[in-house]
Amino acid sequence: MAETAQEPEINDEDLVARTQNGDPRAFDDLVRKYSSRLYGLVYNMTSNHEDTNDLLQDIFAKAYRSIKGFRGKSSFYTWLHTIATNMTINFLKKRSRSYKMSLDDIDNGVQHDPEFIELTSGPDARREVNLKELQVRLNEAMMKLSNEHRAVVTMFDIQGMPHAEIGKILGISEGTVRSRLFYAHRQLQNYLQEFLTT
Amino acid sequence: MNQDVHKLLRLKRYEMPSSDYFERFMDEFHRRQRAELISRPTLSILFERFMNAFPEFHVPRMAYATVAAAAVALSALILFNQQESGASSSGSFALNSPTVTTLPSAQGDVRFPVSLRSDLPPHYVLETRPVSYESPYSF
Repeated sequence: MAETAQEPEINDEDLVARTQNGDPRAFDDLVRKYSSRLYGLVYNMTSNHEDTNDLLQDIFAKAYRSIKGFRGKSSFYTWLHTIATNMTINFLKKRSRSYKMSLDDIDNGVQHDPEFIELTSGPDARREVNLKELQVRLNEAMMKLSNEHRAVVTMFDIQGMPHAEIGKILGISEGTVRSRLFYAHRQLQNYLQEFLTT
Repeated sequence: MNQDVHKLLRLKRYEMPSSDYFERFMDEFHRRQRAELISRPTLSILFERFMNAFPEFHVPRMAYATVAAAAVALSALILFNQQESGASSSGSFALNSPTVTTLPSAQGDVRFPVSLRSDLPPHYVLETRPVSYESPYSF
């Protein structure tokens, strides 16, 4: 279920060392490597494309400015995700409640996803699912969670991170990650009842 | 049931911007970096470089409260000293300086010392006879 935390083809340590020695192209490689993944993290916490774009720029700018202070006590992946999560939560605390959702298009690949097929055409499918409606309802349900619970759900359910990694990023124990997930799932069940099979 | 929620949420990973978004993102990142170099105040850059050079440095938890308390105490001490020195200087003036009377004048107030000796009680001359506030001993 959980994806591996680091992709082996590019060595983060090497790229970080080169950036620390003044090679900005090495940092570009890190941006290329992590921008898509961090986009998913920030977008699923904000439900707004424009906010995500601005935040992602700020996150990489902050990481670039701070990379000299990175001593490798954790992996670069964890360090970068910690910056991203903290900045996003701080942003959400300041954002007004009257924000508008600005959702990205759903990739066509979803039509071939076994989980989506099971959800929409299985024998116990409750109803025919309108993809756009499902997207809106999922985002509304996510936004009803607290920022901290949404962060855990995003990292675990959407991005497939293991509990231990989430704990490191948020600076909490694995037990706290599990209890937040349990509570968040229970809330989401209520919001998404009509899309869930019995 | 939790597994169903999990499956439903997994579908959110298909929400992504168009493929050329991430290509434009890098250009935008470089543009913002250049703009930031021009627009950021020098102090802010210096502070950040300091913090990056000493990543272990953190402002102690009670530092701001301690500094504020020290500033208040120092201000109180200075004010108290000023008041005390003001009171003592005005007291010595009253004791040591000669008595002065003020007479109205068309060109302003003119002060005439009546007695220059501070060890004597004040006295005046009225119609060539000295006058004193001391009670007479002759009955």
